[in-house]
Amino acid sequence: MLLKRILQFFLLYALFIGCLLLLKYSLQLSDYVIPGPVGMLQTLTTKYRSYGLATLNTMSIAVIGQVVSVILAFTLGIIGRQSTWLGSFIKVAAYNIQAYPIVALAPILFILLGDGFLTRLLIAAMICYFPLLLSVLGIMSKPVTDIEHFYRATGRMRWQLEVKIRTFENLNQLTTVIAGSATLAMAGTIVGEFIAANAGIGYTIRIALYQSDLAKILIALFFIGITIAIYQAMLELLGIAIRRAWTGK
Amino acid sequence: MAQGATTTAESMSLICEKLTFTYPAKEAPILAQVSFQLITPGFHSFFGPSGAGKTTLAKIITGELHDYTGQLITNGLDRILYSHNKERLPGWSSVDHHLSKVITPSLLPEKDKLVDLFGLADCVNARFDQLSMGQQNRVNLIRYLLQDCDLLIMDESLANVDELTRETIILSLKEMFPARYFIYISHNAREVAKFCDSILVFQGSNQVHAPRMLQGCNVRTNTERNSAELDAVLLEIMNAA
Repeated sequence: MLLKRILQFFLLYALFIGCLLLLKYSLQLSDYVIPGPVGMLQTLTTKYRSYGLATLNTMSIAVIGQVVSVILAFTLGIIGRQSTWLGSFIKVAAYNIQAYPIVALAPILFILLGDGFLTRLLIAAMICYFPLLLSVLGIMSKPVTDIEHFYRATGRMRWQLEVKIRTFENLNQLTTVIAGSATLAMAGTIVGEFIAANAGIGYTIRIALYQSDLAKILIALFFIGITIAIYQAMLELLGIAIRRAWTGK
Repeated sequence: MAQGATTTAESMSLICEKLTFTYPAKEAPILAQVSFQLITPGFHSFFGPSGAGKTTLAKIITGELHDYTGQLITNGLDRILYSHNKERLPGWSSVDHHLSKVITPSLLPEKDKLVDLFGLADCVNARFDQLSMGQQNRVNLIRYLLQDCDLLIMDESLANVDELTRETIILSLKEMFPARYFIYISHNAREVAKFCDSILVFQGSNQVHAPRMLQGCNVRTNTERNSAELDAVLLEIMNAA
């Protein structure tokens, strides 16, 4: 799984670079617009350390943001599954708020909280939170009647059992959603860094953009891609391990 | 309206009078003027073609469906359970573990006895989805049988189980739970004619007449089997259906 993901990324990245080079040589663009392979390699050798660290910095924020989102999404999803006033309120609020582009709120956070760790974390968490919440709400609100009937009829149904049944029956969907939200968390962090942060790979790309240095941007994209590929593969492996342990398959 | 009353076990009964029910989206009632009485514990049956209203009536009896007209009196039948053949057990642990968790510890020997009688001794350590459909239905039935209830409605609960095992199960249920009411919903005319005390025969979904209550052979373990009587009941069922 891990190797497959990395290989897939390398193939896509190579295809992307190949297309850029094709464009460069067919339109005879200068190295200033699209750098040549030598320029890219030189940037890689000089910047790999700082860009690698910047990507890890961004990744760590994204991971923490995702964990916070998953915990929050499950908490609210479990409360919101009920057909009570609170449950309905959570559902309506989640559906309405998710329609709003969260990234547009980022400037407010930067104004209120500055450009440090907390702001980046909040943006990352908010961007991956709502899709997660909607998925968890959908899963937790849908009864698994053929299993739950017995427990309801005999008065044995507790909220913990209900959540356990619905989680177990939708384990594949949940692990896919959580693995997919990793990309959203990373995207959220990078977008936050683009806007106003003072660290991370998004901040590095912003500087490269001001310098109009495409080689730096391409190397930054490489580090982002490879890191997400590894992180997603690890999440998927974790999902498979949990599934095996729980379902015995 | 359904009425319940605290009565002794001997006076438990289920009385249904001119019960009519129409699903909200439909124009014609699925149940029209249904009247019957179950006044003795034992094996009773709802028999009829698919879509005739057997499951609907079962759900009305358990209180899952309301808004009917007529009367449904559940004298002393305070705990009514409805089991059906589409039910599943959670898949995170073995069947035996799940069964043990949903019955009181004092009933564990009964559980082991039923597992043996139902021919499930070899597969209780497997997970539910590893069992055949017949085994799944038998496991599901065991957990219902070991609940504290006065009336158990078994909606195709023995589907996909071979005839010989079904016979063994029904006979042992009669022996082990003589004070309990059972309503067995089945499409097997011979089986209900042979083992049931009374049979409410439903007609097709375009029924003209209300369901008719017939007397079955009510065969028990020690009962002498009379094939002429069985044939007569079968004939009556066919005429009524």
